[in-house]
Amino acid sequence: MKLQHSLGGLENLGPVNLDTRVFVQEWEKRIFGIHTVMMAESAHLDEALPRYPVAALPTTFRETWTWASLRTGAEAMQPFEYFKYRYYEKWLMGISQFFVDRGYVAAGDLERLTAHYRQLPGAPLPQQPNPALKTQIAAYLDRGDSGLRPAPAARRFAVGDTVRVADPAAVDHTRLPGYLRNKKGVVTEVYPGAFAYFVSTGPDGLDGPMPVYCVKFDAADIWGAALCEPHTTIYADLFDPYLTHSLEGQA
Amino acid sequence: MSSLFAYDDDREAASAARVRALEALLIEKGVLGSDSVDAVLAHFDTVAGPFNGARIVARAWTDPGYRQRLLEDTPKAIAELHFPLGMDGAEGEHMKAVANSATVHNLVICTLCYPWPVLGLPPYWYKDPVFRSRGVREPRAVLREFGVPVAAGVEVKVWDSSAQIRWFVIPERPADSAHLSEEELAALVTPEAMMGVALVPSPVP
Repeated sequence: MKLQHSLGGLENLGPVNLDTRVFVQEWEKRIFGIHTVMMAESAHLDEALPRYPVAALPTTFRETWTWASLRTGAEAMQPFEYFKYRYYEKWLMGISQFFVDRGYVAAGDLERLTAHYRQLPGAPLPQQPNPALKTQIAAYLDRGDSGLRPAPAARRFAVGDTVRVADPAAVDHTRLPGYLRNKKGVVTEVYPGAFAYFVSTGPDGLDGPMPVYCVKFDAADIWGAALCEPHTTIYADLFDPYLTHSLEGQA
Repeated sequence: MSSLFAYDDDREAASAARVRALEALLIEKGVLGSDSVDAVLAHFDTVAGPFNGARIVARAWTDPGYRQRLLEDTPKAIAELHFPLGMDGAEGEHMKAVANSATVHNLVICTLCYPWPVLGLPPYWYKDPVFRSRGVREPRAVLREFGVPVAAGVEVKVWDSSAQIRWFVIPERPADSAHLSEEELAALVTPEAMMGVALVPSPVP
């Protein structure tokens, strides 16, 4: 198992952070912006539901970059390291490495220029506006990248069914919260249509458009009655491959 | 910021220089324009933000029929308010609202997902691994730390979405607010209230 997949329920972490700021340092805005521009010019968008003309964009970026890319990177971190870095620090590390690995940026150039801006924090950025990309960014933020697709012919579960959460192999990336593995719950909603995720997760199970269900869990069934707070219900939206019939998978 | 992730100035300066170097190189290489990052940030200052969610909540407080429609078909009810743009933009494609009441308190805690168009960008507390770890195990203890004690008889519902559905909470309307306009009501609603970690206080007389 991977720690990043199983954050739910970890103990001894101390008090929660109450900071309501979105960005706790000015620099964090820039890496958030870079990531969002990458999503807005991602190569996969020419097949997204709103068909974006990304192939014709005046950009040298010819990669697929989605939330799955960023999440896969965070899930690949050594778990102790994962906890050592603040949220946007992880983004900065992952995105910098991506551009180096894909050959867009030379590691040496990045180091040299970092030293330059360290010396002269106010030194300007190159001025090279890109109006067509700006238009695409606005279009992407307005219209999104919905995973909703037509409903499948049949669904395996209906409202009221008791289900058991699957326990697939832990691979590079998952959308299954670890604390729900093998737990029993009841379907409370079958969402209309089917939802595609950005990538296939292989043996983990996500692939193509999938039904999504809302499943209700009694906290006592997850943590044990003596170890959880009373009168607590957990609802989780789960992709179809993460559910099994309640008798399957029982010990 | 708790001390856990408050770093010395040197570490922050190093990150600031690195991100500036990265942005400069990406502009040089034609991956970004020099106006691209600012275009993203401006969108979240003016178009997508918690001011949208606050308007939706205020309407639900003042119009019981709207509240009902919002709970039954959230995207359709949001569309009724004629925001300058569809609220189905990035990260808001599939919205669901749940309502707090005298008997139920809702807490939203999806791992790495947040409804951008309605609530804007996620605040730090929401992304912090401590909240995500403890929220599903001991939501009442977490809520107490946020200053929201939940009575023993009230059911706590935790919404953990790792699929593409984005949840938000319609908090309870504060007492002594009958005289307020919809706009004044909206001004009372915070992102925290719409994620379930804050109550909406009565207006200061």
